[in-house]
Amino acid sequence: MTIGDWLTESANWAFLFLAIPTFVASVMVVSSRNVVRAVLYLVIALGGSAALFLMLGAEFVGWTVVLVYIGAVIILFLIGIMITRAPLTKSVDLSHPISAKAPAALLSVLLFGVVAWAVVESFGLETIPLPEEATRTGEIGLSIFTSWVIPFEVVSFVLLAALIGGIVLARKDEPAEVP
Amino acid sequence: MIDYHAILPEIILALTVLAVLVTDLVTKDKYYAAVVGMAGLFATMIPLLTLALCDDLAGCSGELPRVLFGGSYVVDQYAVVLKAVFVFAVFIALLLAVAYLESDRYYEGEFYFLLLAAALGGVVMSSSRDFLTLIIGLELVSGPGFLLAGWRKGDERSNEAALKFFIIGVTGLALLLMGVSLVYGITGTQLFAELAATPQAIVDEPVFALGLLFVLLGFTFKISAVPFHVWTPDVYEGAPTPVGAWLSVGSKTAGFVGLLTVCYLAFPQVSNLWGPALWLAAILSMTVGNFVAIQQTNVVRLLGYSSIAQAGFILAPFGAAAAAGADLQQAFAASVTYLVIYAVMNLGAFGVVIAVGTRLKTYELADWSGMYRWSAGLAILVGAFFLSLAGIPPLAGWFAKLAMFSATIAVGDIWGYSIAVVAALNTVVALVYYTKVVKTAFFDPVPDTIDVAALEGMDVAPPMQLALGITAVLVLVLGVFPGLVSTLAQYSSEVVTAAGL
Repeated sequence: MTIGDWLTESANWAFLFLAIPTFVASVMVVSSRNVVRAVLYLVIALGGSAALFLMLGAEFVGWTVVLVYIGAVIILFLIGIMITRAPLTKSVDLSHPISAKAPAALLSVLLFGVVAWAVVESFGLETIPLPEEATRTGEIGLSIFTSWVIPFEVVSFVLLAALIGGIVLARKDEPAEVP
Repeated sequence: MIDYHAILPEIILALTVLAVLVTDLVTKDKYYAAVVGMAGLFATMIPLLTLALCDDLAGCSGELPRVLFGGSYVVDQYAVVLKAVFVFAVFIALLLAVAYLESDRYYEGEFYFLLLAAALGGVVMSSSRDFLTLIIGLELVSGPGFLLAGWRKGDERSNEAALKFFIIGVTGLALLLMGVSLVYGITGTQLFAELAATPQAIVDEPVFALGLLFVLLGFTFKISAVPFHVWTPDVYEGAPTPVGAWLSVGSKTAGFVGLLTVCYLAFPQVSNLWGPALWLAAILSMTVGNFVAIQQTNVVRLLGYSSIAQAGFILAPFGAAAAAGADLQQAFAASVTYLVIYAVMNLGAFGVVIAVGTRLKTYELADWSGMYRWSAGLAILVGAFFLSLAGIPPLAGWFAKLAMFSATIAVGDIWGYSIAVVAALNTVVALVYYTKVVKTAFFDPVPDTIDVAALEGMDVAPPMQLALGITAVLVLVLGVFPGLVSTLAQYSSEVVTAAGL
């Protein structure tokens, strides 16, 4: 399949329609100078990725991204920014000189290049048919409580540990002595 | 129908974790939370023993390996041995923490809770035979680690340790997940048994190799092998010292469990890819760890670099055997032998460092001079654990080294011999700084700033005495009767035959 053939399919136009704004919004998240704006761009980026999951037929994952990330995490971000009164704009302390940014940027680009090359090399432009049964929400729910019950229960311990530890670290008390 | 006997250790440990939290809530004296935790750990050992000895017990049916959930959770010999290592490590870390936390105002009950939760993660990891369960188990080991590293909230070094550990740990995890997603994408499975049977056409795809590389990198962070080791000494130094003890043993063992299981069970057919990578990581870790350790003046940082070097020794037989395409089972047994002995002696070394540190209020080696004058007992323990780490007979460390050398030489080939030579040179380098600590403690004059009379009057707290006693006895017993641990390791390596590889 060539790029020309690829463009004749309407689903691929829908993909581009979703992917390009998602990509632009993702870049804006990290380049935006204002934290609140970055969070709002994140909403677009996450919404776009949720729509991509829906396009793939992964309705459970798609709606989870909407509910958990856009619904809860973003709101948490905004509330967090509000109640901590964090500075909204550029912080001098956290800015790195260009000498530190350049290698990081180079590494990122290289990493992207390698991963992109490998993915294109392995999958190319071939069409991979969607397995029918793999994507239904009901079956995912069933499998969570049958074959994946151990990881499911362990996740609840991860969350409990994060909750308890987070409370301890965030609590305000007099500084302890240094032993 | 779920085989409840097989997952009984996990169930008991999980209930213990919750019981500790409730005890902390209802009691004034937080000591009881630790007592409940230790009782739970003893209870966890019982089903581990019955699982291992099931054949000899009346009324017990079913032998190892016990396969649950379609092969994604397997209780085999290897899993049982490593679960016992995690339970033992957290038991000692708990004993060390009790004495340490009571010496100052810390949150106690929550500390024990997090420590035990991390152990639960390790126990789950030991049985995980698919990526999803393994990674979630790894999360449960890492998450509490990040939080515990920052437990000394008033100390900036502790804050820095927690943040550094968190960012590096999360980066490692992101790499690991990236790798797993690539492997899953190309193979369509994340079950180790099915991955091991991947057809050659798929193995040759670049995405498969790239995914494997990311998975390896992710675990390299966890075991603090070079080149992803830089966080280790800073975190051990900044975190409360018992947390350092847990991270250097429990968290590191978790990383090794992940790495060995994944390499051995999921990717045996591409050992020519990951073998040389592990071989190189082993050589670099030994060399960098040891040469930097020589320059350290702080004992905790010294142990940090020493643990990097020891990670290299643990990896050496496995990496060499895989690189040379030799029989993996012996190398696997040697790596597990080293891991088990390292766990015991490093916990002991950290224990004695904490015992001395709570008296002196400093971890600078210079202040340790002449420890023998004010506490002969502690000085002797310093000698025992540090010389064991160096590999001097009759302390347990010598057998770990012996197993490592004989396995690498048995590999033969340029891979095996070269790493044996590097390891031998490194053993000599390591001897320099381990004996420097011992020499300082025994023969150097006491500095003027140290009040010998005051130090002589101080006792070691009873839980600390117990922890030091257990590890010291084990270091001696395992050194004199090394058959005990090599039997365990051979037993654990039966996983190969069990998995039909």
